Amino acid sequence: MPLMGPGSETCATAIVLAGGKSSRMGRSKALLPFDGEPLIVHVVATLQRLFAEVVVVAAPEQDLPSMPVRVVSDEVAYQGPVGGIHYGLTAAGSEAAFVTSCDSVFLNLDLIAHLVDQLPGHDVVVPHWQDRFQPLHAVYRKSVSPLLAEQLAQGQLRPVHLFDKVRLRRVDEDEIRRFDPEGSSFYNMNTPEDYAEALKRWSVTRRAVQCTVELFGMARLLARTPLMSLALPAGATFSDAFAALADKLPVLVGRVISADRKRLVAGYACNVNGLSFVRTETAVVNPGDSLVILSADAGG
Amino acid sequence: MHGLFGRVLHVDLTSGQSAYRDVEESRLRKYLGGIGLGTTLLYQYAPTGVDPLSPANPLIFASAPLVGTRVTTTAKFAVLTKSPLTGLIADSLSSSHFALELKRLGIDGLVLTGQAPSLAYLFIHDENVEMRPAGHLRGKTPDETQTIIRSEPGCATVWVASIGAAGENRVRFATISNEGRHAGRGGVGAVMGAKNLKAIAVSGDRATPVAYPEELESIADSLRRRSVSSVTDKYRGLGTVANLAVFNRLGTLPTRNFQQTTFEHADALSGETLTETTFSRRHGCAACTIRCERLFKSQAGEEQRLEYETLFALGPLCGISDPDCVLQAARLCDDYGLDAISTGGTLSWAIETVEKGLLPEARALGLRFGNAEGVLTAIHAIAGRHGIGALLAEGSRRAAVETGGESSYWAMHVKGLELPGYDPRSLKTMALGLAVSPRGACHNRSGAYEADFSGEVDRLRGDSRRGGIVAASEDFAAVLDSLIVCKFLRKCFADFYTEAAEILARVTGWEYSGAELRRAGERIHTLKKLFNIREGWRPDTDWLPERLLSETLPTGVARGVGLSRDELKEMIRGYYQAREWDEDGFVPERKLEQLGIARC
Repeated sequence: MPLMGPGSETCATAIVLAGGKSSRMGRSKALLPFDGEPLIVHVVATLQRLFAEVVVVAAPEQDLPSMPVRVVSDEVAYQGPVGGIHYGLTAAGSEAAFVTSCDSVFLNLDLIAHLVDQLPGHDVVVPHWQDRFQPLHAVYRKSVSPLLAEQLAQGQLRPVHLFDKVRLRRVDEDEIRRFDPEGSSFYNMNTPEDYAEALKRWSVTRRAVQCTVELFGMARLLARTPLMSLALPAGATFSDAFAALADKLPVLVGRVISADRKRLVAGYACNVNGLSFVRTETAVVNPGDSLVILSADAGG
Repeated sequence: MHGLFGRVLHVDLTSGQSAYRDVEESRLRKYLGGIGLGTTLLYQYAPTGVDPLSPANPLIFASAPLVGTRVTTTAKFAVLTKSPLTGLIADSLSSSHFALELKRLGIDGLVLTGQAPSLAYLFIHDENVEMRPAGHLRGKTPDETQTIIRSEPGCATVWVASIGAAGENRVRFATISNEGRHAGRGGVGAVMGAKNLKAIAVSGDRATPVAYPEELESIADSLRRRSVSSVTDKYRGLGTVANLAVFNRLGTLPTRNFQQTTFEHADALSGETLTETTFSRRHGCAACTIRCERLFKSQAGEEQRLEYETLFALGPLCGISDPDCVLQAARLCDDYGLDAISTGGTLSWAIETVEKGLLPEARALGLRFGNAEGVLTAIHAIAGRHGIGALLAEGSRRAAVETGGESSYWAMHVKGLELPGYDPRSLKTMALGLAVSPRGACHNRSGAYEADFSGEVDRLRGDSRRGGIVAASEDFAAVLDSLIVCKFLRKCFADFYTEAAEILARVTGWEYSGAELRRAGERIHTLKKLFNIREGWRPDTDWLPERLLSETLPTGVARGVGLSRDELKEMIRGYYQAREWDEDGFVPERKLEQLGIARC
């Protein structure tokens, strides 16, 4: 069963569309070197932190690196995203799937988890960013697949045509900004210039993730400080952040941070930026995040 | 019978006559004790449509099966009546030695009706029931009352629950207090005052019979150990005052009568600051290993208990940033026997009303946001019903209706009960919990906020799924409140229903499953609703104050977030559906049959 991270009731698959022509890029986007590996490997590895099943939809005979994922091919090549979504959903092992493309290099797992959480009662959950729907960063129920097949038959190759026919949950900018203030999630690469820009952004991002830890309650009293800054390597997870905090404040180990330094002990919780609560320690810390360490019993 | 005694003591305060009446074991199995048993007694003995402040309104004290056993945090009792504030059910809990002594009388409950001819106190020693004059106790604080009564013949070892001056003066949000603890919400103290009953002093010698004491000890011992693990760190380390800084950070700290959800002086009032600057000592109820109470020292050197709700209501809600003022105000509430939440809620309504140009008499008292002196003066006035205090003693809903104009818009209550310290706009599950709670805006008869604070749901956006979460949370609370186990122990159970059923079985000797216990929770909650329907609940009663549905949050991380009418309607619809009630929120007959509830 392709499950999401622990604690979630929602089952979902991740689908990566890789079969585009890459005509403006001039070479296969999926194979562009990125952070020392092919771009698609980077994207798949990111998604695997959240999804137990990842399906890659490729063009027939497309050259792809070996990855621990299921690869399916478009039955008819280059039918655009509607085809890719349709074939991906058909192959998905769960009732719904988050769909993205292989050149979405700055995926934000908190935002993705939020989108998946919105699915009950809807067929499609789609962000709306800067006046545009983002169908290649959206969650689709498998049950919409026949509608996509109809669109293909009628030559309607734009995913937005689907949105009028389903129970749509539109996620607007304000809601998106709570997780991804800059909208980096929707950055994708079509030209060599876009690629160069992405590499540049990534090199800045990967050097270090600066974040702040705010301590409340017993954690503050033990640490004798309300605030602590952390510099973490790019891609650092919350587990990494807890370990770094333990290095700086050993007094918290055993009382607030577990002895293995990977998580908080029972009775404590971590909130990000005063908004979302951390549900899995393997999620990635974003630059500028404020990690709020508080009692898990916030009421009473 | 084990765990309980199968009888309730009835006292008619008018005649002074008393009698024991049996309670069938089948009823106790269905409703357990505490809030559950108290609700059945209220439903049975309150005449339909009774005036809450009339002699006929019963005032009920209920004990429970785990009280007096070695299970930690169970020294508690319930007080139930028809609320003079809401006109619906008032079900409050208090704790400590009075709870243990009440059980030692060998009764499961005490039903008080009538009205003493003049101020009196009730002295119950084993099976001797005596009404004694209490003119000399008039105006005394609950602590003074216990001290004086203990100096009287035969009373050296009694434990006392009493009202302060506020209860005597029928302030509609007066408490019944014992040992610094309070049956706080809904105005149970006003009902006691209306009965001319100053205090109840009890002393007994009956131990709680336990069916399987050795087997109980193994699980009780395990619970005691778990109760001092990291999951209760907050309560043991800072107490509930720890909430203030966190709520401010999360944008859910009601400030200046819910005009804001962050307070610029939160640091000065935070539990962390108070602990570092004015902490005096830690205290706990009898038979409790968690010991959450925190006493702080005022500048005058007096010790004062503070909990989050007191701190929020007398601090940010009234714009007060001086910790010493909050300590003084909390002391006044304790001494007069006033519910601090409703006191703060009513005062903040009055302050905003003054600022909008109404209530000139309140302006003359110095009531304005942030003015400590005005707040302290007004509390004295409320307790004594002096001047404008007589209006404020009616609570924010009645005071607003009386004042007229737009002042009802600033009255932050549900069903007449002032809101606790959680802004519903940034806690949507809690918003639903507050809207549908039988006793009004209550944070204790469900823990709906838990879902919001866990990341289990999007706390800034409501949906129909919250209905099931709130219903489950209410049933869970009903079981805790009826066994009775303190809510601060709730996270110490791995599988609450299974483990609690096992404890109940070992105490009472009943075969009892986790599923039955869950069903008991639903039954108890449903009976509260049934009582409310009988007493005039209507679908539009389950709603939130207009401000919360009209204004978005102006400050904090949730700035710009609001709560729409449709969003609230959708959640309420989901709640009624989850409860299997009809679409208007009435309980269908088939549900009553399913739960084995008989109308009366």
